[in-house]
Amino acid sequence: MRDVMTICCYCGCGCGLYLHVENERVVGVAPSRHHPVSRNNLCVKGWHIHEFIHHPDRLTSPLVRKKGRLVPATWDEALDLTADGLRRCGEKHGPDAIGVLASAKCTNEENYLLQKFTRAVLGTNNIDHCARL
Amino acid sequence: MMMNKNLVMNKDYLVPLLRKLAKTHRLVAPVRNEYGDTLFTIITDLDRTEIDLDHQPQASLKPYFFPQTDTLCRYVIDCDPATGAMDYSFHVQLPQNRPTVYVGVRSCDMFAVMYTDMVFLHEHERDVYYKQRRDNAIFITIACNTPFDNCFCNATRSGPFLESGFDLQLTDLGDRWFVETGRARGAGLTEDWACFFRPADEADKRAQFQAELEARGRFKQLVHVDLASKLLAEDKVPESIFRDLSSRCQDCGGCAFICPTCTCFNITDQPRDEAGGERVRSWDACTFSGFTAMAGGHNSVDVETGRIRRRFLHKLQYDVDRHGRPSCVGCGRCVGMCFGGVDMIRFISMISEAGENGAEAGE
Amino acid sequence: MTFGSGAMTNSIDEIGQAQVILVSGSNTTEAHPQVARRIYDAVDRGAKLIVIDPRRTRLARHAHLHLRLRPGTDIPLLNAMMRCILDENLVDDLFIEMRTENYFALRDMLLQVDPGQAAAVAGVAESDIRLAARMYARAQRSVICYCLGVTQHICGTGNVRSYANLAMLTGHVEQEFTGVDPLRGQNNVQGACDMGALPVVLTGYQSVTDPVALGKFARAWGVELSNRPGLTVLDMTHGEQIRAMLVMGENPVLSDPRQDHVIATLKGLDFLAVADIFLSETAALADVVFPVATFAEKSGTVTSSERRVQLMHQAIKPVGAARPDGQVIMALSERLGYPMRYDSEAEVMEEICLLTPIYGGIYHDRLDPGWGLQWPCVDRSHGSTQYLHKYAFARGRGRFEPAKHVAPAEAADEHYPFVLMTGRVYHHYHTGSMTRRSLSLMRECGRSLVEMHPDDGRRLGIGPGDPVRLTSRHGSCSFNADLTPRVETGYLYANFHFPESPVNVLIGDASDPIARIPEFKICAVQVERETA
Repeated sequence: MRDVMTICCYCGCGCGLYLHVENERVVGVAPSRHHPVSRNNLCVKGWHIHEFIHHPDRLTSPLVRKKGRLVPATWDEALDLTADGLRRCGEKHGPDAIGVLASAKCTNEENYLLQKFTRAVLGTNNIDHCARL
Repeated sequence: MMMNKNLVMNKDYLVPLLRKLAKTHRLVAPVRNEYGDTLFTIITDLDRTEIDLDHQPQASLKPYFFPQTDTLCRYVIDCDPATGAMDYSFHVQLPQNRPTVYVGVRSCDMFAVMYTDMVFLHEHERDVYYKQRRDNAIFITIACNTPFDNCFCNATRSGPFLESGFDLQLTDLGDRWFVETGRARGAGLTEDWACFFRPADEADKRAQFQAELEARGRFKQLVHVDLASKLLAEDKVPESIFRDLSSRCQDCGGCAFICPTCTCFNITDQPRDEAGGERVRSWDACTFSGFTAMAGGHNSVDVETGRIRRRFLHKLQYDVDRHGRPSCVGCGRCVGMCFGGVDMIRFISMISEAGENGAEAGE
Repeated sequence: MTFGSGAMTNSIDEIGQAQVILVSGSNTTEAHPQVARRIYDAVDRGAKLIVIDPRRTRLARHAHLHLRLRPGTDIPLLNAMMRCILDENLVDDLFIEMRTENYFALRDMLLQVDPGQAAAVAGVAESDIRLAARMYARAQRSVICYCLGVTQHICGTGNVRSYANLAMLTGHVEQEFTGVDPLRGQNNVQGACDMGALPVVLTGYQSVTDPVALGKFARAWGVELSNRPGLTVLDMTHGEQIRAMLVMGENPVLSDPRQDHVIATLKGLDFLAVADIFLSETAALADVVFPVATFAEKSGTVTSSERRVQLMHQAIKPVGAARPDGQVIMALSERLGYPMRYDSEAEVMEEICLLTPIYGGIYHDRLDPGWGLQWPCVDRSHGSTQYLHKYAFARGRGRFEPAKHVAPAEAADEHYPFVLMTGRVYHHYHTGSMTRRSLSLMRECGRSLVEMHPDDGRRLGIGPGDPVRLTSRHGSCSFNADLTPRVETGYLYANFHFPESPVNVLIGDASDPIARIPEFKICAVQVERETA
């Protein structure tokens, strides 16, 4: 069993917690006693944070829409389709016809890359996320 | 029954002794990590791990015997293609039985293991999952010369020094460990590795006695556990106390999860795919409202105050009735961690105070 | 922003040392339990607690003063408080003189305010408002915590400015244990804002219309950049300006107002790609869905409400063929002719440090082991910043921005006699895609409830747990009734965690003209008992 220190993924308090990992599965969680916010406790969501990670509903393969239905596909197929879709939209309607939603659940690095991608590659400032919601 | 033996071990010899034991056993000991948190950790490299005997581990040994989530069995849904009839089949999954030496276990945590043994290894209803993990465990405990800030094991009679339960109990005498052997396995261990030990002499025994005496004087908390049990048994706890504390409870379950003797669990079937899944046992807490939810939505204890009452009554009254002692071991872990400050010390001091005032008013 | 940056000015732990805590529009015990914990600590130490909320929240039960205002009347309430502070000479003149500007505009406006009338608008006793004003102004260390109950109104910007005015008027900022603390919802909503995932700013709130800032990014990235401000979420998901969308882990179908409009917009797109951990209601409409990693399966930093940038550590490999979002973005960028080659998250952060003054010294190697760094942290020699605006506001002087009452976009009338407020409950999170998949949390709270006062329930023949249908001017949706005096008669409270009760179908698209925050807190509805 390993304990891996990480940060809770729910609210903006930013609790430090340990994930108990056994055979590549997260089987439990414990707060950090010395973390300045968690101070040895988590809320009910934090204490059960391991329960959704291995849920069978997790998406485990890319999906693409074929004949109206989402079906499993390879990463290359999904990425090519997306690159095509965005490129074609930009060519046809201009870059400001593309919109990007970032995520308050993704890391800073990912959000940075996504806004860089939106501005430098897609050529628009149409990027936002759920800060208002 | 073997008589307790008193021995002495040079402080330098602890790691060499553990190295010998590690050849045949898994080692678990408190380790202070790079974040300053002390956790019971499986030690794989004795040379690059420093065992921390100075701080209380933030969690007890409970997760090693009764993990937060425990897969009891896998189930497969068998569907007969001819008739369409569905059936379950179960495939039990027992945890590995790994001989383990638990080192640096404080008295309260050792006592808690003895308590959970009563729950899970009860004569007629043995819990095989617990037993599998519990068998072949060796406990090298450490007596507390200096109790921590929130400790009150003196009031629950589960420390700071133990009489029994351990395999070996170490007392820090400055330059050496005073070693007491408890269970047979501990005595056997000192015989197998006799080279690390010498018999204790009178001076050692006096030093050990002195350490124990001084430790008892160092508690910072004065907690009237027995008085609390008495007041609860006599139903002399004002409802307002439960009301006050309940309105501060934030329903996190943390007190039960961190408690070394809280053993309530829930069992759920968790599908993994369409063909089957796992039956999982996970920690539960009596402060949750869903704890008493019944099919159809009725809940027999659906008032806030009922839940907090349930917790403290279980710890301080029902267990006294059943086992002759409260199931609180005075480790102090629930103190300071509760969002609303609803902890054992606050509860007991509130009811003791109310008890005293009540007595005065009666006179 | 009146101070110059949108973040908690204090650290969470400081709240425990405050003398007066004013909590507004925040169900703190349920939405920010660690903050509530500090509030209990402070109250135990003798601090006074003022709660401004239409609902009797759990925290309100512990308040010394609960101002149960009508939803959407924060501005008149605060103006009345400030008028009282002015009348009783509790103003911090030195602070105003040294640190602020535009004070006279506020003072002139306040002198027009009739506290009695304002109190009547807010539905709160004038004497209570005076009491709150004195409590807040007289203490040395007063702290304001507010949340979406303040911002999700058509006058959200005015509300926020009014709280800032109150704090500046009494000099309750720029010090330890005293300040203005907006509590941020998501674990990295602060970071997503800091990183420029917003239509008008680049990283660290550098405006896209500032040629110097834009030029810096253009040089670093080697491309020309647009200086045209982009569209907000609401503009993207309502209307026809957008033809293709890329959505990372968001679920506007449940989180944005007017679900019918959102679905129509998304369905009408030429192309929609969604990256998520589950097939969300939004992902179900996509042309391409990417399976991505959860927090446990990736590394990188997140920034908490108290501006603390912390490192997450990967605990397990992504499940199945899932990949971290960052890799998806890099792969797309490569395909569109702009290869991004970063070997690690730390390398991305080095670029962030280079371009973002407030993150200038936040390198990964400094974050761990330890508890991260709180921005601003301008370079490697700079430590963590526990509280903001120590000697001066981020924008120089704090600016008083007087605000006047704006009536909510919707009012109850004979057809829609109830006012519905929306929010979160303790056991669930946002659109519930994670928490609804936790058996333990579902046992505690497994269905969508609407809170209703028992008197209203009795009047309408609705019992506890009964199915009810709420209908607004925009849509209709079903819940189960939770009869509780937490809400006053005539008011209802519902959450948006359950797709089977998508409360956003009820909400109109009125929003704050400046911040474009929808008015989630006020929606006129009618209620009827549903027969099975």
